[in-house]
This record gives sequence, C-alpha cells and structure tokens, in this order.
Amino acid sequence: MKLHTDLLPRSTIISILMCLTLSGCAFNSIFINYPSQIAPYKQQLNSPTAAINLDSIAKEIASNDGLLYAQESGRIAQINGQFDKSKTYYEQAITAYKAFDDQAKISVSDMGAKASSLLLNDNAIPYRGPGYERIMLHQYQALNYLFAADMQGAMVEVRRSNELQASEQARYQKSQKSVQSMANGTIDAEVNRLGKAAGTVTSSFLNAYSYYTTGLLYELLGQPNDAFIDYRKAAQISPDNTYLQQDLVRLAKQLSMPQYDEFKRRWGDATLANAGQGQVVMLIERGFVPEKQSLTVPFTIDGNWQTISLATYPSSGQQMTPATLQGLGTVLKAQPIANIDALAITALKEDLPAALVRQALRVYAKAEMAQSVRSDSKRRNDQIDAGAIAMQIFNVVTEQADRRSWLTLPKQAQIARQYVDQGLYDISLGNAQNTKIEVKADKTTLIWIIDTGNRTRFYSIIL
Amino acid sequence: MKPMKLIFVLAAVLGLAACQSKVEYGDATEVETVNENFGSTDLQAISAKMVDSMLTFPPVVAITQNNRPIIFVDKIKNKTSEHIDTESVTDSISNKLLRSGKFRFIDMTKVDAVRKQLDYQNNAGMVDPTTAIKFGRQIGAQYMLYGNLSSIVKQDGSTKDVYYKMTMRLMDLETGLIEWSDEKEIRKTRSKSFLGM
Repeated sequence: MKLHTDLLPRSTIISILMCLTLSGCAFNSIFINYPSQIAPYKQQLNSPTAAINLDSIAKEIASNDGLLYAQESGRIAQINGQFDKSKTYYEQAITAYKAFDDQAKISVSDMGAKASSLLLNDNAIPYRGPGYERIMLHQYQALNYLFAADMQGAMVEVRRSNELQASEQARYQKSQKSVQSMANGTIDAEVNRLGKAAGTVTSSFLNAYSYYTTGLLYELLGQPNDAFIDYRKAAQISPDNTYLQQDLVRLAKQLSMPQYDEFKRRWGDATLANAGQGQVVMLIERGFVPEKQSLTVPFTIDGNWQTISLATYPSSGQQMTPATLQGLGTVLKAQPIANIDALAITALKEDLPAALVRQALRVYAKAEMAQSVRSDSKRRNDQIDAGAIAMQIFNVVTEQADRRSWLTLPKQAQIARQYVDQGLYDISLGNAQNTKIEVKADKTTLIWIIDTGNRTRFYSIIL
Repeated sequence: MKPMKLIFVLAAVLGLAACQSKVEYGDATEVETVNENFGSTDLQAISAKMVDSMLTFPPVVAITQNNRPIIFVDKIKNKTSEHIDTESVTDSISNKLLRSGKFRFIDMTKVDAVRKQLDYQNNAGMVDPTTAIKFGRQIGAQYMLYGNLSSIVKQDGSTKDVYYKMTMRLMDLETGLIEWSDEKEIRKTRSKSFLGM
C-alpha cells in the first residue's frame, strides 16, 4: 500500500503559505469573530462607572484590519470625551482609506488577500468600510476639531465629507440596480428580508445625519449659504423632520432665497430669536448599531462536508423612541434624522453579490482541496483517512462569515433645536443623568448627547 | 529542478534587499511629487509668484520708491479639503518681501509675547525705568496683506484631479483700497498605477 506521506499536496501547501505571506501575518478576525472582540469595549462605554482602557484595541491598528480598529478606537475615545486622542486615531483611519484609494488597480497585496480569502474566509481581506462609515469618520473628525476649538480644521473635515457625500450620491444611483439584480435561492430570501429591514427609500442609502452635521457646522461657522445646501439634502432624505424644516425656512428667509415663499407655505414662517435669547442645538446619538450575525448552511460535496457562512443582520429589534429633553423650560422632543442601522443593512446588501461570488469560488477551492487529499484506497478498505478528515475540519472551521463593521456607531441619530433666554440650564435626557449648560445671547450652544443605553454623555460648546 | 531553485534564491535575496531603508539628503527646491496633496513645490511656487507679482506691480513700485511701507500679514484662510499649514505660506511670502528691502513688517502672532515683555519691563520693578521700553510707542501698519487658498477636488475610479487657487491682496488700511491683488493656480492630476503592491 502506498504510504500517505503527503497529507496535503505540495502545491496546496505552497499556495497557502504564499497567501499567508502576501497578506501579512495579522489575522485577527479570521478565527475570532469581530463582534465578540468589540463587545467588552461597548460594555465599558455603557457602564456608568467603568474606566476605558484602549491600549489593547489601539494595538490592533497595526494589523490587517487597522482601518476598522482605528475607527473603533477613535470612536471609543470620542464617546469618552478624549477628543485629542480620538483625533489621532481617526487620522490613522483616514490615512488607511487614502492608502486604499491610492492602491494600484491590480495590487499584489490585494490579490494575496483575495487568494487567502478563497482558502480561509472573507475576514482575510483587509477591512475597507462602506461609504457611509467613511463619511461618518470625517463628520466625527470635524466634531473633534470643533471641540478642540480649531474651526479651520473642522471646516476642512466638513469639506472632505462633502466630497465623499457627492461621490456616494453618484454611487447610489448605480447601486440600486445592482442590489435589485440579485437572485439566488436561500440567499435571495435573506436579501429580501434584509431589504424589508432596511427599507428601500433614500434614507437607507444616504445619511441625513452627515448632511445635517456638515450643514450645522457651516451655519455655526458663518457660511449659511453652504449650510442651506446641506440642510436641503438632509431634508430630501429625511423629509418629516420639523426641526430641519424650520432650519430651511429660517435660512431661506435670512438669505432671501427664491424658495422662501414655498417653504413658508409648507412649513410656516421662521421663528427667530428674541433679544437676549440664545440658540440651543442638540445632536443626540442613541444605542449601538446592530452586529452582523452569521448564516451558516452545511452541505456535502462528493461526500466531503462543507459549509457556507454569510453575514446577515437579525430582524430589526425594537425601534428607538424619540428622546425627550427636560430643563429648557418646555419639554423638548427630539426627532430622528437618520437610522444608522438601515445604512449598515443596505451596505451589507450591496456587498452580498461580491461576497457570494467569493463564497462560490471558496466552496470550489475547498472542495478541490478536500478531493485532492482524499485517499480512495483507504476509503475502500474502510480505514480512517486522516488527511481527508483534517481537510474537512479545516474547511468547516475556517468558514467564518465576515462580521466586521464599525460597531461603536450609534443606532439612531436625533436632533432638536430651541431658542431660550440666556443663562444656566440644568438639562437631562429622559430621566438619565443631568448636566449644566450655558446659553449666551446671540450665540449657539451645541450639545452633543451620546446615549449608549445605561449611560448618557453630554458635550457642549458655545459658538 | 536546479534552475528553479536558483530563481527562488535570487527572488528571496532581491526581496530582502528591497526591505532595506536608507536616508539621503535632497535638494529642498526639487520638484516633489510624492502624492497629489499640497506640498513643498506648491508652497514655493505660490510664494515665488506672489512676491514677484507684488514687487513688479507698478503702483507698488511707486509706493516703495521713497520709503519702506509697513505691512501686517493677516492669516491666509484655508478653504481647501486638506489640513494645510497656511502660516508657513505666509511666512515664506513675508520673508521674501522683507528680504527685498522694500517693506517692513509687524508680526501679529507675537503681540501677546511683546505685551508680556513690556509689562515685565514697566511693572515688575526689576528693570531700570530709564531703559524700559514704554507702552504705546510702536508704529502702526499701513497695509494689510491677506488671502485665501481654495481647492476643487474631483475623483473618479482611477483619476484624481486637484486644483488649487491662491488669492492674495494688499489693502491700504487708511483708505480701504486694494492696492494689489493676484492669484496663483495649480493643477495636479494623479492617475492610479495599473500594477503595484
């Protein structure tokens, strides 16, 4: 009987090694699913007392998925009020995105990663966030600059997100087609379910919150005309928000825009501040964006066990309720402007066709590998074929869904705006912790409220 | 099999040699094209153009014929989508203008430091009052130099086009008239390489 020295044929070993070398040595999310890596940090953020230790996650920025870890680290530091630290992390993520932009059309490292994804799973491909994540990165970076009182820097980030928003808008027209043109049995049902969860309206493709934030910064930093443009886009995406409608009427009046009469007819005339009053603008972020789940389907090819694993989102959980703000005289009810979870679901939906192609190729590659190590003689003689079993275990174990996404983003963003007399106010969100804010006449107090569930953080600045 | 082995060894050696890093000095005025972002070449081109334009503009020549007007530089507003150190641009321009011997400058970024020093000389009781520099003896600027830097960025799949426009103006503070104005345009296009790491 032939001695079975080559459990794996040499060519397979070489190709595995090649892939491993080409795509670098860090394989964080390949075997440990990504959400479970971030879960402890989300818990720390949400705990009313726990201190936040970023060291171990910040170390991962050097890894293959550095971009994602930089985004997470930046956001964690930001939620925690460490704006300077957050700025450094976000800067690293921005650099990583730029590196992707500059990557050659046919890139050796990219090919290496794609090839190893065929043998292992999609987590071997370096993470590159969907469009909305990249826009939010710049939006949050703008807020970092703003809270560090660097207005010029904040405007640079605003313009950067404007540039990306424009390209995302262009992509939106194309993508609708590609999302619709998918058809594939079980997967099709999954896509349909995701479609129902996300909705098919513009708001699941474009982020009104980003437009609103950039518009707000334009307005607060003295460029009302640019603010008007961004508010209008935000209003197209999120038409029912009355705060946004008021902003539009007010700016149209201030800038004597031709749309003023129409806006006034639809939404009523603009209310302006009385003498001695200041403006309070609130950006409220609630919850955490949902995690991707994996959908695993086991099956056999030629008697060898195989699985496919795809990322999916669970049916949407409970809806976020509008926040109520006490302490500004009347009880102020915030209104939602964007559902980040819907954006995440759409991004996944758009990514599914490519993921499916890679999945099919991977099933083929793994089936070939399993076939090549199988010893027919052993099988005929009812002996244990260790090579084949090892190969099948390898195939099943390595088949992990790509569950990576920016998980410290909020689930929903809400806004509120009100004129109040100058003075000190004690405001609170729902019945949660309260905080003191100051309002100055003819100035705007921007309050950024991040509510992670068990803990609410308030950051304010007077502009 | 032999030649294959040789090729492998050669490839490995080449691969390792490529990893060696080195440091060398270069020419500071050399054209730099590392990427399409605002860089040293742009800064140099802008300051050279602005200074040349200002020094040769006939009305400015007339102003500087018999005396050295005093200028203060307001900062250049960054309206691009990049974080650019515009102070460094104004520094280069004011350096060149000062070195031309035709203008004198007031540095507004140092006002606080000067005030502190004068405060110390006059109020700390440590300095001989006869040598202390009195408050209110500085000379006021006659002109203000200011400007802005804007950009238009366009990008599609493999091409990125960046257009910069620097506008500068010299204002007579007494009359409010713009005595001189000019702009410098820069266009850079970057196309992705087809093959690479």
